[in-house]
Amino acid sequence: MQEGVISISNLESFDELFESYKSATVLTRGDKAQKILGQLDAWCNTIEGIQQIYERIPALDEAGILNDTPWENPSRLVPLLVNGTYKSGHPNSTYELLSELRMLALARGKIQASESMKEEAEIYLQEALVLNLEFVFNEPQEETRLMMSEHELKKVHSLFGFISAKIQLSKIKSAMVEELVLICEQRPVVTEKQRRIIALVNEKIELDPNDPADSALLAFQRSIYSPTSGTVGKTFGAYGTHLSGLTESQLEDESEQMSESMLAYGLVSTYHATLLLFLVKEKQYELVAKCLGINESGLARFNEYQEFVCSIIADVIHPYNAQCIYGLSKTLENGVLSRTAVRAGFHNLLTISLHPKVEERIIKSIGNSIGKVSPKKYLIGALLRILGQPLGIGQGNNPTCQSARGISMWSQHAPAKLIHMVHSAAVHDDLSFRFEGSEIKYSESALGLVQKLDHQLDAVSVTLVPMLDKIYNEMMRRASGRGEDPHKWVNPGLYGQWIQIGFASAYDYLSNAIVDFDGFLRVFYGMCHPKYNGGHRLVYPNPVGIFITTAKGEMLGFHAISLLRVEKEPKGEVRAYFLNPNNEGRQNWGQGITPSVYGNGEIHGESSLPIHQFAARIYAFHYNNLDAASKMDNIPQNEVDKVKELAKQSWGKSYIWLEIKKQW
Amino acid sequence: MGWSLPVIESMQKLNKPFVVVSFPDFESYAKENNIPFVSYQFDEWSDASNSLDLKDKLEAYNVDVAVPLFEETVEWAGALNSLYRDDPKVLNRAFLFRNKAMMKRKALIGGLRVGLFEEVYNKEGVLNFMNRLNQANLQVDGEEDSWVHIKPFASAGTVGHRLLRSKKDVEEKCQDDDFPCLAESHLSGKEFSCEAFIHGGKIRFLNITEYVKLGYSNFIPEGNYLHTKRDRIMKEMQKLVDLFGIQYGMIHPEWFLTEEDELSFGEVACRIPGGHILELCGKAYGFDALAAFVCCHDTELTEEELNELLPPLDARPTTFYGNVMIYPHKNQISKLIMPEELKEESYFLDHNLIPPLINQKVNSREGFGNHFGTVNFKGDDPDRMTELLLHYENVDFYL
Repeated sequence: MQEGVISISNLESFDELFESYKSATVLTRGDKAQKILGQLDAWCNTIEGIQQIYERIPALDEAGILNDTPWENPSRLVPLLVNGTYKSGHPNSTYELLSELRMLALARGKIQASESMKEEAEIYLQEALVLNLEFVFNEPQEETRLMMSEHELKKVHSLFGFISAKIQLSKIKSAMVEELVLICEQRPVVTEKQRRIIALVNEKIELDPNDPADSALLAFQRSIYSPTSGTVGKTFGAYGTHLSGLTESQLEDESEQMSESMLAYGLVSTYHATLLLFLVKEKQYELVAKCLGINESGLARFNEYQEFVCSIIADVIHPYNAQCIYGLSKTLENGVLSRTAVRAGFHNLLTISLHPKVEERIIKSIGNSIGKVSPKKYLIGALLRILGQPLGIGQGNNPTCQSARGISMWSQHAPAKLIHMVHSAAVHDDLSFRFEGSEIKYSESALGLVQKLDHQLDAVSVTLVPMLDKIYNEMMRRASGRGEDPHKWVNPGLYGQWIQIGFASAYDYLSNAIVDFDGFLRVFYGMCHPKYNGGHRLVYPNPVGIFITTAKGEMLGFHAISLLRVEKEPKGEVRAYFLNPNNEGRQNWGQGITPSVYGNGEIHGESSLPIHQFAARIYAFHYNNLDAASKMDNIPQNEVDKVKELAKQSWGKSYIWLEIKKQW
Repeated sequence: MGWSLPVIESMQKLNKPFVVVSFPDFESYAKENNIPFVSYQFDEWSDASNSLDLKDKLEAYNVDVAVPLFEETVEWAGALNSLYRDDPKVLNRAFLFRNKAMMKRKALIGGLRVGLFEEVYNKEGVLNFMNRLNQANLQVDGEEDSWVHIKPFASAGTVGHRLLRSKKDVEEKCQDDDFPCLAESHLSGKEFSCEAFIHGGKIRFLNITEYVKLGYSNFIPEGNYLHTKRDRIMKEMQKLVDLFGIQYGMIHPEWFLTEEDELSFGEVACRIPGGHILELCGKAYGFDALAAFVCCHDTELTEEELNELLPPLDARPTTFYGNVMIYPHKNQISKLIMPEELKEESYFLDHNLIPPLINQKVNSREGFGNHFGTVNFKGDDPDRMTELLLHYENVDFYL
């Protein structure tokens, strides 16, 4: 039999099985569907095989092969989940493949659909392509290669090859740019995602500098591969040699270009490290400051702590570690380095030896680009980023939003404490917390939420998060069974004394229902809305629990975020600005509620929503219980009703609602 | 009696009135899907839980015949049927099927060829049995011992079946909870099974399943060699049916055929065979084997209905359907890998292997029924089929 071609007998076997499936009742459908999937799985090795499946997709869809599966309804699918699903292997990966082919059939009219559905399908596919470039270009990441078998890898490559042949490259270029912008605007601490996309584009797509459509992608590319005129056509090593031959004014020029490039997208190139280290060595301090791209207040702090900053640069920065230069600049600008305690913490960290288990985790998080840079350098470099970009901290692919927002909070309000925690964790691979009069130690606690940590995190998170996660769960265990949401006690216990004492939960444990949602909303508005709380601003981040809903507004689950501020944005609307540790720029929570990450007055790393939309998704928050009662009546009933309606029609459908009044 | 979704589906398509009797666990599913259901604890036999009580519960459904699907339901069905037919021998016959020693004695009395067999109660019993066998086989010093099989009296398939090749094996492999059990001499020859659909005491259709490896792989219809022996087998089968006095139902005996054309009787069951045999049979001959299995138990089935349900006696399909039951070869598994060669195999039909949980531990296998999945094949050359089935039994699907 010819390699790669499906034999007639195999095709016939499929037809036989398919007939049997169509005539089956609900009792045996499941088993027969599995068999069909097993057969189709065998065809997926080649594009021709995918073609054969594609031809049968309308029939399969009509016969209901995707019914009663998560892929049943194409409008409910999320491109973000595609990558992980393929990695989990058969049968899920085969279902996913069928789903993608059905989507293509919808977009191309092979399956009847409305115009809007067609468009939805097209956009979905573009996004899916952009989020799966490693499969499109057959360049799987290290971790992917470990998780997927040869067969599965061939499968996704064939599928995406098939789809990308049918979708215009130019369309996905604009989707790529959009993706890159969405990611970069948030100035995340971990820059792997955007770097990967840029690297793949660099390798696999020819860009035309004369084509305005390609210029955005070229700009991203430049920031990594040729940020200044001096770097063009050189490796960072050659660039280093080149620098020694430059004049003062040429160096100044390079420094300015370099910092401009970094500030454009928050991406730092290896060349930047070479330049910075050179300038420090040459004691060209004015140029060092220029190279860091810091503003006035940053410059003042740099001058004050010059020796300290330069020693950090010399000890920690390396071309492979260059991204932390951005973090360093921000720490100078936000003043965190002016604190004596912080500098002392850094000094101590430079002297420690890492616990082997911590080293292991850090090495795993770096992947294969380790080498000349020690895990300790990565750790301290990551710390610079965490302290400089508190809103860029993410949970990665882990269910650890609680821990992530904690690190963000401490970075902003207790940086020395955070450094101390990092120190303790890095040296002892252990961490202790006080909770309600007793001690909770990581090493003595039972399992946390995380079964298998996904190591695509910054070095600080990868060190701390497993510990915070276990400790958080131990606190939750100890605080449960009290008839109220344990977060009431756990949030202050975990995060610290900045958490206000009052705790409001929309859900009442004892009645198993939403009770007095009106009152709940009034307390919320009274807590944070400047119009109704006497023009007060939020001082500390407020750990808020929200309902996550699908694009159709249906209840999906719970998520932990930090409410940072509530203000009028430039266009006059009052918006809630918050930290979302999942760094996802494209969320659609249904009912037109789509958090934005730029363009509405956000600082880098914030997400925002109009306040009433935000309020329609919260389920718990902290407040000052001394203040609350007096402000509750300020809020107009129509605002409360507006939010209540949104809530009731979305996640609210999953709950019973009681109108009894509560004491807040 | 017993819960099987494929059987229920076949019955629904037949449009004959039926009710399912099984454990209470299935009640809610049955309710949700409009399946007539009576829950019963088969593993309890007491004043409150017995066939008279069950008969009462089934009155509402106008039941007049009971069909056992699984080993544990055979005596229940026997008890009920003896009440419905007012014939106590029906129950006794059911007990025959449930005790391998009794079954063999009946066969022996009836003139079927069986080996040497005996109930044994401990290791010593097995050793003595082996000694007697050795003597009968004129064993000389230094010669190997005669092989002995031990089997529990009432288990299905190959559960608890041990092969002892030497006295040393007996010492090492036998455990206290194996006893009491049946010890029997090794029967030589090609092993295969028959599935005979019987009505009115006559075999109305006979399927022969060719075993490639007991417990792992088989195919239907039988290969060319066995096919030449069909008449011989049919004769012996009718003898078995007459001997056991089976009037209605399907029996699944296992035979051994030597090169000298001697047929030895292994054992016989009267419930749905393992190894997906009826599924393969249905596909090969183009009929609903499950529906046929059930309906053959109906004493009032008409000649026309029988002819519609069953293929003709002399049917000989040209395409063979076979399967391999897959068991992981390692103790801890974390991945399911489809071999490249399987994808290009033209005989490959389908599979239902599921990926394991991360780091799943594998229990040692016992009898049919706990394989991880099945790979199905279809093709025109039974020799090639045999080759394939032998090959894929040894391929690592799970790593």
